Amino acid sequence: MARVLNKPQPARVRLDPARPEGVPAAVNGEAVESLRESWLVEDRWWTPEPLRRRYWELVSKRGRNVVVFHDLGSGHWFAQ
Amino acid sequence: MVICLYIPRFELAVAAGERSSVARQTLAGRALAVAPLIGGEQRVGEVSGAAEACGVARGMVIGEALARCPDLVLVPGDPVLVAGAWERAIQALESIGAAVEPARPGLAYFESDGLRGIHGSVGTTIAAAARVIEHPVRAGAGPTRFCALAAALAVRSRRPLVLDDGEATRWLAGRPVELLGFREDTAALIEPLSRLGVRTLGELKRLGRPALADRFGSTGALAHRLACGEDTPLCTRRVEEGLEESMAVGDANSGEALKRVLGVLVDRLLARPERRGRTLRVATLSARLIAGGGWRERVVFRQAICDPERIWLALSVRLSSLPAPAAVLGLVVERFGPPANEQDALFDEVPGTLVARDARPSARNARLREAVAQMRAIAGQDAALRAVCVDPDSRVPERRVVLAPIPE
Repeated sequence: MARVLNKPQPARVRLDPARPEGVPAAVNGEAVESLRESWLVEDRWWTPEPLRRRYWELVSKRGRNVVVFHDLGSGHWFAQ
Repeated sequence: MVICLYIPRFELAVAAGERSSVARQTLAGRALAVAPLIGGEQRVGEVSGAAEACGVARGMVIGEALARCPDLVLVPGDPVLVAGAWERAIQALESIGAAVEPARPGLAYFESDGLRGIHGSVGTTIAAAARVIEHPVRAGAGPTRFCALAAALAVRSRRPLVLDDGEATRWLAGRPVELLGFREDTAALIEPLSRLGVRTLGELKRLGRPALADRFGSTGALAHRLACGEDTPLCTRRVEEGLEESMAVGDANSGEALKRVLGVLVDRLLARPERRGRTLRVATLSARLIAGGGWRERVVFRQAICDPERIWLALSVRLSSLPAPAAVLGLVVERFGPPANEQDALFDEVPGTLVARDARPSARNARLREAVAQMRAIAGQDAALRAVCVDPDSRVPERRVVLAPIPE
């Protein structure tokens, strides 16, 4: 049976209070050093389960590249 | 509909049932526990109801168990007998047409939908399954594996409990979280959940999947899925014939002499006409010990082989972990490989050139097939997968690549 690769994993995200547009300040307890990119994905809007995600590509304090998204439907955060 | 059959205290019943009728009568109603294996971790195995009433539980350190219940009788554990009795029970279920997923000795699942034409309703299918198993069973049925398990554990009589799709989730909500302990991947959650005051699956469900995933990771998300009545499809076992040889070893009960007995067993096994020239991929070495009890070890060969010397070498190393002198040594073939009598030409007959066989793509493919089969024999069907690009330009990352099985 086929399995999906790169499935979203729930993530603990703390937002930067100084930036009202909802920029993550820490992901899974790891502080964010810089923001590389942000983009919006809207897909499957023609189905009963539309997909609306705000993606953030970040660099952590330890130099790791982290991609997280905010599910605009449920309000939860996921790492991918 | 998934049917779950649960035989309570299967290992203890098999270990105690092997004793004489006088000994069985003496043990009836007493606090019993399966003794730890010689040389293994000193924890008790399955315990009887009387022992449970004294506060003894499975997995307890033997010193603590004896301190809680000084009258505790330790019955020598026998993995060989348990495996044999469980295999007979599974084969009995397969004889009525069921495709069985054996979870552990005493616990099995199968789908009832394919058996409707043979046995009729779910109730009559359960009755047919209970008839062919030698032990008294508790049976439950539900839309998923976990629902069926919860139903089987809830019944206290021979009458099965069948849950419909609609009522299963509502019924599950009232069941205790200890049910998660029957699954290896969620068993570790019971202790932290009880500390948090979560007592039922309904309370667990109300916590929400993101909160559980946040706290316990993928295990928490799985526990929430189970509490919501969701589960993965059954993974039924492949039915394969097994070949078995055993021998009373007499005085050759350990050391080099026992290795020579093993050599005779290997030769006998390879000479059996039922083998039909096939190679051996997985074998189980077992022994009944002189001091009582048994020992069992599964051996997956690095490649499918039929050379007696290499088989003996691979198996004789395992004899060093035998905990005590053996009375009977046994060898069972669990899985066969391809036949070993396929003989090709040494060189390809390409005009003007000679290409060595190992350099040909077909030889590489054969080796890859062998490696895949080997991995699956060791770690299950999901052990060898390949990444397939299904929609590489998708804006949603999880839709770009899937993992699919590699065809053998």
